[in-house]
Amino acid sequence: MKAIFIAFDQAHYEDVYSILTHDNCRGFTYWQDVQGRGSKSGEPHYGSHAWPSMNSAILTMVEDDRVPLVLKALHTLDESKPALGLRAFVWSIEKAI
Amino acid sequence: MSLYATAVKKPITTALCFVAVVIIGLFSLTRLSIDLLPDIETNTIMVLTAYPGASAADIETNVTKIMENTLNTVSDLKDITSKSKENLSIVTLEFEYGTDIDVATNDVRDKIDMIRSVLPDNSDTPVLFKFGTDDIPILILSVTAEESMPGLYKILDDKVANPLKRISGVGAVSISGAPEREIQVYCDPQKLEAYNLTVEAISAIIAQENLNTPGGSFDIGSNTYNLRVEGEFTDPKQLNDIVVGVYDGRTIYLRDVARITDTVKEREQEAYNDGRRGGMIIIQKQSGANSVNISNEVMKRLPAIQASLPSDVKLGIIVNTSTNIENTIDSLVETVLITFIIVMLVVLVFLGRWRATIIIIITIPISLIASFCYLLISGNTLNIISLSSLSIAIGMVVDDAIVVLENVTNHIERGSAPKQAAVHGTNEVAISVIASTLTMLAVFLPLTLITGMAGILFRQLGWIVSIIMIISTIAALSLTPMLCSQLLRLNPKHGRLHKIFFTPIEKALDALDRGYARLLTWAVHHRAVVVISAILIFGGSVMLTKVIPTEFFPTQDNARIGINIELPIGTRTEISRDVALRVVKEFQEKYPEIKTLNFTVGQADTDNTFGSIQTNGTHYISMNIDLLSVGDRERGLLEICESMRQDLKKYVEIKTFKVLAGGGTGGMASQASVDVEIYGYDFATTDRVAKEIQQAMEQMKSCSGANISREDYIPEYQVDFDREKLALHGLNVATASSYLRNRINGTTSSYYREDGDEYDITVRYAPEFRQSVEDLENVLVYNNEGKGIRIRELGTVVERLTPPTIERKNRERVVTVTGYVAPGAALGTLAEEINAKLKDIEIPSEVSVTLSGLLEDQQDIFFDLYILAAMIILLVFIVLAAQFESLTYPFIIMFSLPFAFTGVFLGLAVTGTPLSVMALIGLIMLAGIVVKNGIVLIDYTNLNRERGYSITHSVIHAGRSRLRPVLMTTLTTVFGMIPMAIGTGEGSEMWRPMGMTVAWGLSVSTLITLLIVPVAYTIFAKNGVLISRRKRAKNQ
Repeated sequence: MKAIFIAFDQAHYEDVYSILTHDNCRGFTYWQDVQGRGSKSGEPHYGSHAWPSMNSAILTMVEDDRVPLVLKALHTLDESKPALGLRAFVWSIEKAI
Repeated sequence: MSLYATAVKKPITTALCFVAVVIIGLFSLTRLSIDLLPDIETNTIMVLTAYPGASAADIETNVTKIMENTLNTVSDLKDITSKSKENLSIVTLEFEYGTDIDVATNDVRDKIDMIRSVLPDNSDTPVLFKFGTDDIPILILSVTAEESMPGLYKILDDKVANPLKRISGVGAVSISGAPEREIQVYCDPQKLEAYNLTVEAISAIIAQENLNTPGGSFDIGSNTYNLRVEGEFTDPKQLNDIVVGVYDGRTIYLRDVARITDTVKEREQEAYNDGRRGGMIIIQKQSGANSVNISNEVMKRLPAIQASLPSDVKLGIIVNTSTNIENTIDSLVETVLITFIIVMLVVLVFLGRWRATIIIIITIPISLIASFCYLLISGNTLNIISLSSLSIAIGMVVDDAIVVLENVTNHIERGSAPKQAAVHGTNEVAISVIASTLTMLAVFLPLTLITGMAGILFRQLGWIVSIIMIISTIAALSLTPMLCSQLLRLNPKHGRLHKIFFTPIEKALDALDRGYARLLTWAVHHRAVVVISAILIFGGSVMLTKVIPTEFFPTQDNARIGINIELPIGTRTEISRDVALRVVKEFQEKYPEIKTLNFTVGQADTDNTFGSIQTNGTHYISMNIDLLSVGDRERGLLEICESMRQDLKKYVEIKTFKVLAGGGTGGMASQASVDVEIYGYDFATTDRVAKEIQQAMEQMKSCSGANISREDYIPEYQVDFDREKLALHGLNVATASSYLRNRINGTTSSYYREDGDEYDITVRYAPEFRQSVEDLENVLVYNNEGKGIRIRELGTVVERLTPPTIERKNRERVVTVTGYVAPGAALGTLAEEINAKLKDIEIPSEVSVTLSGLLEDQQDIFFDLYILAAMIILLVFIVLAAQFESLTYPFIIMFSLPFAFTGVFLGLAVTGTPLSVMALIGLIMLAGIVVKNGIVLIDYTNLNRERGYSITHSVIHAGRSRLRPVLMTTLTTVFGMIPMAIGTGEGSEMWRPMGMTVAWGLSVSTLITLLIVPVAYTIFAKNGVLISRRKRAKNQ
């Protein structure tokens, strides 16, 4: 089991959701409005007057074989719209009930 | 769930909601009636009290003064004026606008009941009369006839007036100018004397002969029969054979002492159409009825009515108010359509994409049509004000949609899917869209609070624009994002045609952006120069106000002229008619613009409602001239009027005349005038002052003529009876004077009935026996002993001048000198000149002089509007301060405001337009419109600063990237006003100043705002930074 944390511009939500569904990753946790800023480039997402856009975040636990598929699809999505911004981070799950 | 998210998610619901709004709006449109102006309620009540036999002075002391003193206490009373004439007192109460006239009427009635016992015993019960805009005739028909002339009245009454009265909404139909049938019994006084007969006796005999008497019922056998005696004449000729007496055993018939003629009334008003004798049919509507519908209905029935008339009787149209209304409304509808197209083109040029253009343009019809619902619900009509409000709003409703669309497009370009982009893009700008709508509401909602005359006009404007703005904002936040999500695509493919058209436009706009950025860079580095030159520009424009005249409402060219000509008092109808015909002939040769010319002359009969309200008399000629419509002639209304005044001055026999542009229907259409009111008790003194002022006015260039309200002293014959002699013969004044009256005026002895109509049978002396003072002196008065005594033995006949009508205002005697404003001059100028001149005229201490009339209204309204302007600016400031949560930024934005005034003054001065109420309203609207540009600029500059740019960089960057939206919203508004500002259609004079004011003010202010606001921002922001740095240094 791996955990994937995906932080992305709100506009990506439907695409991200469809990637997860497509790759048969059923379970996830979704935060609709989160703020954040990229480490290198891209506009901050603060929901403020200066930076009005907002991020959303999804935390999903998937089987190990799903991870490359999901990451690849997410990467393609990010490349297609670089101005919006999307990042995914993966780590291992040690135990689950 | 937010409005826009729901809208994007449910496109069908959203679309259908707006379709429903449009359907309801269109349904309302079909139910709306058309009128020229919003309903202006009457605010005057007239109280008429007759006191037969009293002279003007008696009436004044015994009736008018008592009335005035009591009625003065009625609440909400503005002015109380009165006219005391012979036999009649007319007290006019003018109430403040907005007073419930029904409540006021009841109050007045209560007060009158209270003083009823104080009034002279012989006076009649006072009659209340409300006169409002509804009483102005909506249609005047002309009638010409040849052989049918003697019977014209009956023909018109039966075949024209009666069918017309049946049309719903038609109030009174009066026939004037058509002679009315009357059976005249002309007695020969000598023969009467010879046979010992009197006019009274003959009259009584005729009455007794001309009688139907029911004799009850009686039974014959098994049946009951009615008994009747039918003595009524079936032919006027039967009158000849009445036996009036027996003399020396011989029967005397009526034909022996009198001649009986079946003819027309002796004194009546004559009407001429284009120089030919005929009649007039005056149609008034019922209060609240729709003029256009009624006159259309009348027009529809006219051909059928014409067909039923004898072939020589021809009907024509002299005045049809609905033509003017329809033309005005048509030209406004045209203006609205042109505006729509222009705004669409501006949006297309700036956006370069037809889909985006459609998204924005669609908000226009939706918001506009929705406002029809308001009109229907509030019981209003389609009129100048409501339609010009629509025209004003068109340019502004797209602003919100433009802002939303622009931001959504940005999101799409950054890669968002249209649906997401629509939701998030709208979310980001929703607050500022609402804020800018709030600033507009801060301007237009207070307009609904104006009171007085202007309030009636601008309440509708305020509501309509406010409602349109609210609907357009709702549409911008729901429909626009929905359409964006459905229609917009990322990087749409462009056709070749598109490239040919839009590449140069795109290049030009880019060059403009670059140029503006360079200019702005220079400006923020030379702040002192910019600020000083801005101050100089504003200062310079304030100087312009000195050359801008003021006026109340622009004179409207409704193609109608009313002329009232007065000949010396007592001139016979024949002479007046001759003068009138000569004037008509000259006018018809000289003015090809005249479509129809109609005049009436002579004394109006009392049952001619319309005629008797107007001034009339044998010496009085009133003309109605209908000109070709504005587009079809070169000379303007005022020019023609002026030229006619010059022509009329050449007629020596004319005493005074009035040429009233607009037909004298009152209200705003007529020519502006200044009234000088001279208060004082003594007739001679006030007469002298009035004469002097009139002469002074006539010499002024800005005055095209002056009239004095006080009429000339009337010459008349009076019989002074010697009471002793009367008593000696067993007579009294009442008996003697009734003898005189019956011989000269005649007595209506009975009625001749034919086909259900009644005609007077009048007995009096034949005309040839009442033509000199001697004839009067020879009148025989019989006493109880049956002895005849001549008037000459009872008293003397003398010629006297009687006091004129006594006019009073606010319980003081008054004379009004009315000066008409010359073409090209303005009301304000004339008033100033008169004021200056009044200082030179010697005015006795017991006389006071004030200016009033339109000027008074103008000052009232201007004062109201200035207060309103101050309030609106404050409200706009509050909205801005709330939006920015700062006091500095609104202040900076307000820098655009002075330059709006600069633009307006410049526009007024360049085009030579006087500052009227319409222009002032335009000025007030500007307060809300011009700050919008500032909001956009400041908002984006702030955003840049929050993103961490330096002040200068933020300012320049913001300016550059906001230039297009600013120009686009400005141009849609300015171009939206241009069709109004240069309109030439009928009625366009009215709103031209408003359109022009907004267009000039907004253009100039935008151009200067684009520099001054960034510069002011830099100054304030740098100061702010300095202050906070100093504070920090202190604290450390």
